[in-house]
Amino acid sequence: MIKKFVVTVNGEKYEVEVEQIGEAAASIPATVASGIKAEAPVAVTASAAAPVKASGGENEVASPLPGVILRINVAAGQAVKAGEVIMILEAMKMENDIVAPKDGVISAINVQKGAAVQTGDLLFTM
Amino acid sequence: MNKEQKSEKLAALRLEAEAGGGKARVEKQHAAGKLTARERINLLLDEGSFIELDKFVTHRGTEFGMQKTKAPGEGVVTGYGSIDGRLVYVFSQDFTVLGGSLGEMHAAKICKVMDLALKVGAPVIGINDSGGARIQEGIDALNGYGEIFRRNTLASGVIPQISVIMGPCAGGAVYSPALTDFIFMVDKSQMFITGPQVIKAVTGESVTADELGGASVHNTISGNAHFYAADEHECIAQIKQLFSYIPSNNLDGAEIVEAGDPADRLCLELDEIVNDDSNKPYDMSEIVRGLADNGQFMEIQSNFAKNIIIGYIRLNGIPVGVIANQPKRMAGCLDIDASDKASRFIRFCDCFGIPILTCVDTPGYLPGVSQEHGGIIRHGAKLLYAYSEASVPKLTLITRKAYGGAYLAMCGKAMGADTVLAWPTAEIAVMGAQGAASIVFRKEIDQADDPVAMKNEKIAEYEEKFSNPYCAAARGLVDVVVEPHETRYYLIKSLDSLLSKKESRPGKKHGNLPL
Repeated sequence: MIKKFVVTVNGEKYEVEVEQIGEAAASIPATVASGIKAEAPVAVTASAAAPVKASGGENEVASPLPGVILRINVAAGQAVKAGEVIMILEAMKMENDIVAPKDGVISAINVQKGAAVQTGDLLFTM
Repeated sequence: MNKEQKSEKLAALRLEAEAGGGKARVEKQHAAGKLTARERINLLLDEGSFIELDKFVTHRGTEFGMQKTKAPGEGVVTGYGSIDGRLVYVFSQDFTVLGGSLGEMHAAKICKVMDLALKVGAPVIGINDSGGARIQEGIDALNGYGEIFRRNTLASGVIPQISVIMGPCAGGAVYSPALTDFIFMVDKSQMFITGPQVIKAVTGESVTADELGGASVHNTISGNAHFYAADEHECIAQIKQLFSYIPSNNLDGAEIVEAGDPADRLCLELDEIVNDDSNKPYDMSEIVRGLADNGQFMEIQSNFAKNIIIGYIRLNGIPVGVIANQPKRMAGCLDIDASDKASRFIRFCDCFGIPILTCVDTPGYLPGVSQEHGGIIRHGAKLLYAYSEASVPKLTLITRKAYGGAYLAMCGKAMGADTVLAWPTAEIAVMGAQGAASIVFRKEIDQADDPVAMKNEKIAEYEEKFSNPYCAAARGLVDVVVEPHETRYYLIKSLDSLLSKKESRPGKKHGNLPL
């Protein structure tokens, strides 16, 4: 069963399809929904959805390789320095550091730990 | 007219030519943060070394009021001089004169210095700052570009050609830089075939000139440029630095300097760089710097296709071109851009007799539909071609992963590498353990009670047996297995032994590089 959602990230609308496979899968959005905090609703909503393609905006960081998100080091709302490792992408037998391209604040983490991403998928937004 | 009057006339004519487009336009140039054509030449060349040619050349245009239009120096300053005492020919377009537009005689001035440079075997440096073709001169201007392109091509591989973009460079004008060996771009300079207005009219896309073809675009996305500078002074310093690594022509060797760094220096810091866990990335440029004389590495195209590193170091004073995988970027995979970047650099080094050092740590070619459809087969083939074709001394150092086709493409022994060194951490195999184990031991894994455990066991077995440098060493495909800290010494010793290397190739007009 495929459900369609419209997710708004930083004012940009994304159409997202979510397939419900079983009870376990269905419980994920519910758990996340209950954990939503008022100050960062956008980020959590987006991370529950399937990966979206980066639109090429200058504040977006896209996946350079197809792989799996091994670890996420920062949370939305956190201030980071250029070159700081935001997450680790395991791809081509390597734990690739995904770093902040500039100083700033992470406005959204667009994937979750364990997610499989393709080249060009949006990883995080600053 | 007596002699004194004749001297005065000459002095007046010189002044007129040197004034370029006049005070107001020079001030406008300065206000835009740009130097004039002559100021640039003076900054680039050794003080007082510049000899100007063709100061009094004038155009022959008669249409559209050109008869009455004066163009001092024809909008380009040409001549020769020296950089660190070495002869170099230069041309520098003068934006203050008719926007630096290129007409018949402007092109003829450029062609003259190119012809001279080719005759004497000296590099050419061209500084571009031009609005494009001088439309009033019609096909005479167009033909001028063609004359330059042909000379660029004939001089390619005989003398180094360097293009410097310090202002606009649009339309046909971009192809002369594109045919040369290195392109330097200064912030706010631009290169494009068709400008924003034409693009808007034809495709409806809105883009600024800087977004379309600015210095950072060509240094990061398109890969057309090799060096980025924030201002003209920085750019000229970069040119001088590059100049110190490259020879004047294809027969003279590059300048060998006093190393100032012992050949047998132990590089203990290199022992710490490669992690025990082969999934952990590290910065290959640290290894390159560690091996180099005085830790100096001049990186080229440092912001384009960062998964491969190219540039110059010196080993015991001898300039060496380095091509190295960067595990820190995209796992060090080879892809289309990395192949193109490295191949062109290898060919430059080979043209001009500069030895090549290849540092290998790559898991292979990047998998993906866009890569396959983008033609990774033919782009990747350029690496094999460039390495096989190169007859300069070829040194290869395998620090960790060297798998499959990518092992060959990074100057494996079969590509004619003269010396292959490997660190004890090297993993040289036909493919990674995981993939290989599932193919070789498919039957055992399928029939096992616990296929997952069996698979892991077989992967470990394969790793133990093949993920090392000794299988390759057993076949002589690795010449010496060395510790990281002794690598500099071994590289310098083999480079020393290879300086008299001579290798002949079958006679032919030229090969057919896959493009």
